[in-house]
Amino acid sequence: MAVFERAFQKRELHDPGIVRMVFSNTYLAPLWALVRLYLGYQWLIAGSHKVWGDTRWIALPGPDGLALKGFWERAVAVPAKGHPAISYDWYRSFLTFMLDNGWYHWFAWVIALGEVAVGIMLIVGVFTGFAALAGATMNFNFMLAGSASINPVLFIIAILVMFSWKVSGWVGLDRWLLPALGTPWEPGSALHGLRTKRGPEGRGGVTSSYTPPA
Amino acid sequence: MERLTALALGIIAWVAVGVLAVLIVFNLGDKNQVLMFLPIAAAVVAAWGIGEVVTERVFNAPDEGV
Repeated sequence: MAVFERAFQKRELHDPGIVRMVFSNTYLAPLWALVRLYLGYQWLIAGSHKVWGDTRWIALPGPDGLALKGFWERAVAVPAKGHPAISYDWYRSFLTFMLDNGWYHWFAWVIALGEVAVGIMLIVGVFTGFAALAGATMNFNFMLAGSASINPVLFIIAILVMFSWKVSGWVGLDRWLLPALGTPWEPGSALHGLRTKRGPEGRGGVTSSYTPPA
Repeated sequence: MERLTALALGIIAWVAVGVLAVLIVFNLGDKNQVLMFLPIAAAVVAAWGIGEVVTERVFNAPDEGV
């Protein structure tokens, strides 16, 4: 047991300076804003095609989600020759279950509005980390369904934006929201209702001069 | 009151960025992504400027700085 105690004793491993410089320092916030804007813009365009125009997925004269149904049907098909679009059987079973239960009717709304929401959140810089996580989740599912397109690139960018969640929204609403709302492990000033002065390590690393309105 | 106004102005500026982005993308399509990206980026810079000049100035008064 001693070997386990020694190997897994409580100790925090710190990131090297270059990692903190890239992912946690406001010096590079303009760069992350540009990255975030590109990502949000791509999501907004993708979402706009699904909620607006002749080829939209939702709010159609007939039943919604038929485009998504077609996508799922192509994805779960196993060709006689060659490789199927989906590599994992559990994911094919998952999509087949949703197909059989007609979930595409409402799931089309989730995807379409989700893409638009992620795009807006990333452009505005509000809850950037969560928006990037939601985007990465959609990218991940599209890739599991066999659709590559620009998903691998957007997925990598989303992961980087998630790593830099503290500063990627610095040029955005997160600059005010994160200090005001705080983090799950340290409530912000809006929840405390207190005017506090914070040091450079305050609020999970998010530093700000924000204080709530008097 | 000044603080509330400054905070509201900062939030409204960023909400306007979101509205502008939606209007541009939804109405102009994506035929020229570079041309459409520019006004959105310009709006972001403007909103950031409002935050720096108005909101941050009010909230970061000399007697309560970090």
